[in-house]
Amino acid sequence: MGTRLQGKVAVITGGGRGIGRGIALLMAQEGAAVVVNDLGGEVSGGGGSASAADTVVGEIKSAGGQAVANYDSVADFAAAEHIVATAVKAFGHLDILVNNAGILRDRMIFNLSEEDWDAVIAVHLKGSFNCTRHATRQMREQKSAGRIISMSSTSGLYGNSGQANYGAAKDGIAGLTRVVSRDVGKYGITVNAIAPAAATRMTATVSQKAREIRQQRGVASMGSEARAALPRPQLEPDDVAPFATYLASDAAANINGQTFVVMGGIISLLNYPAPVRTITAPGRWTPEEIAALFPSTLGMDLVNPAPAQTE
Amino acid sequence: MGDMLKERVAVVTGAGRGIGRGVALGLAAQGAKVVVNDFGVNTDGSAPSTGPAFDVVNEIKAAGGDGIANSDSVATWDGGANIINTAVKHFGRIDILVTCAGILRDRMIFNMSEEEFDSVLAVHLKGTFTCVRHAAPLMREQRFGRIITFSSGSGLFGNPGQANYGSAKAAISGLTKVIARDLGKYGVTANSICPVAATRMTLTPEVMRAREIRKQQGIIREERALNQLEQLHPEDVAPMVTFLASDFARNVNGQFFLCAGGSVSLIALPRPFKTIYKRGRWTLDELDELVPQTLAEGLVNPAPPRAS
Repeated sequence: MGTRLQGKVAVITGGGRGIGRGIALLMAQEGAAVVVNDLGGEVSGGGGSASAADTVVGEIKSAGGQAVANYDSVADFAAAEHIVATAVKAFGHLDILVNNAGILRDRMIFNLSEEDWDAVIAVHLKGSFNCTRHATRQMREQKSAGRIISMSSTSGLYGNSGQANYGAAKDGIAGLTRVVSRDVGKYGITVNAIAPAAATRMTATVSQKAREIRQQRGVASMGSEARAALPRPQLEPDDVAPFATYLASDAAANINGQTFVVMGGIISLLNYPAPVRTITAPGRWTPEEIAALFPSTLGMDLVNPAPAQTE
Repeated sequence: MGDMLKERVAVVTGAGRGIGRGVALGLAAQGAKVVVNDFGVNTDGSAPSTGPAFDVVNEIKAAGGDGIANSDSVATWDGGANIINTAVKHFGRIDILVTCAGILRDRMIFNMSEEEFDSVLAVHLKGTFTCVRHAAPLMREQRFGRIITFSSGSGLFGNPGQANYGSAKAAISGLTKVIARDLGKYGVTANSICPVAATRMTLTPEVMRAREIRKQQGIIREERALNQLEQLHPEDVAPMVTFLASDFARNVNGQFFLCAGGSVSLIALPRPFKTIYKRGRWTLDELDELVPQTLAEGLVNPAPPRAS
C-alpha cells in the first residue's frame, strides 16, 4: 500500500469494469477512500445490476482499503449529485473525480439514429458535465485541493470513422476539460483529460470489419498504428491507472487543462490546438482570392483523410 | 455576382443574423440557391420569430439571387429534417450545409444549471447533428457535398465561464473529424470554422463593460481597444466558407480554420508532442521521478491557485 492519496476521497464513475476498475483499485491502494460508481449496464447502455460496483468494492476492502458502491446513472443531473453526496456522506469530503463511465453505439453518420446519438452523448458528455458540476461545487466549498480527470478519446481527437456520436462526446469532454480547468484552477482544483487506448469489453464491440475498412481507407487512427509497433500487443485496461493516479496526487498540482494519451506503457502530452499558418488581407478576402492563394499557402501539404473514390 | 457556386443548393442555419447572414449572402452572391434557416430567437434562445430569415431572403433576392426562408429549430430531429427537406422540395437537392445556429448562456461551472447546459448543447451540438444527419444520406447518394460546421476557440483553447458552449463547440470539432472520414470517399467534405467576430452574441453588455474597465485601468490602450473585436465584421467569415463550399476545395477535408477579419489560419489539432515510453506498465515511483522532467516540464497552469 502506498500513501500518495492518503486521506483523499475519490469518485470513479464506471468504476466497476475495465479502465475504471483499474483506477479505483490503484487509487485505493494509494490510500484513497473510493466511491465505485457503476450502473452495471451493457456496453450499449442497456440493463443494470449492482454486481460490477460491488465486486470492485469487495476487492478494495479485501486488500485493506476503503470503498463504497454507488449505482446511480451519471447521465441524470440529480443522480450525479447523489454520487457526489455519497462520497461526502461516507467519507466526509470529495477530492478526486474520475469521469470514466461510457457506452458505445457505432454507426456511420448516414445510418446513425437519433437514439444512438442521444444515448452516447448523454452518458459521456452530459455525464461528465453532471459529475464535474456537482464535484466542483463541493470542492470549491471545501477550499482544499481538488482533482478532476476525465476520459477523452483519440476517436474524437483524431477522428474515427463510424463514431460520430462517440467522437463528438469525447472531443466535447476535451473541451469541457479545457474550460473547467480555467473556471476552477484558482481554487486549487486541476482538471485534465486522458485519452486511453486499451482492450476492454467496449473496444471488443468494434467489429473486425470496421477495423479492416478503416485500415483499407488509410484512416486507421494513430492509436492503432502505434499499437501495431508495440512489444505487447494487448493494451491492458490497468495500464491507464498509474498515470491517472499520478494526476490525482500532490505531485501533479500544477498540471492543469492538459490532455494525455495513454496506451500501454506510452504516455503522451498533446499540444493545444493552435493556428499554424495564416494568410491576412488588409480588408476582407474575396472567395476568388482565397481559391487562388489557398493551394500554395494554407492548403500546402494538407492530406484528405478519406479521399473521394471513383465508383 | 460570381459563379463559384452556380447551380448549387445551400442550407445555412442561424442565417438570419451575424455570421450566418454573411455566409448566406456570400453563398448567394456566388450563385447558390440558399435556404436561409433561422429560428429567430434572442441570443439566449428565447422568443422565436420568422422575421430574420425572411429579411435575409429579401436581401438575397434584391441582389439578384435566389433563396427561401425556413424558421425551424435545428435542435430537434424533425426540425433538422424539415430544414434539409426545404432545400430538396424547393431547389431539388442539397449540396452545401453550413451550420451556424447557436446560442450562449455563460456561467462558471459550479453555478451552471442543467437547463443552461442542455439548451446550449441542444442548439449547437444536437442542432449540428440533426442537419448533418439528414443531409448526409442525400450527399452520399449524389456523391457530392460540402459540410461546414462552426466550432470555436472557446472549446479548442478553453474560455472560462463557457463549460456548455466550450463543450458543445469542441464536440462539434469531434463530430466534424469523424464525418470527414465517414463521408470523404463519397465526394463529401466536412470542415470547420472557428470564427472571431463582433456580433450580438460576442459584443454583450458584459463584454463591453469588461473592455471599458480594462481600458480605464490601462491594460489595453484606446486605439488597440477600438481595433479589436469591433473591427472583426461577421461578414468577414463568408469568403472562406464560400471557398470551402466550392469545387476548388474538393480535397480539403477534416480541417479547421480560424477566421478573424482579414485573417484566415489553418489550425493544428491536438497531436502527441512529448512522449514517455516503457515496455509494460509504469509504476508510480517511476512517474513521480520522470514526469516532472519530461511531460510536465514547462507546463503552465492556465489558472494557478490563488491564496485565499
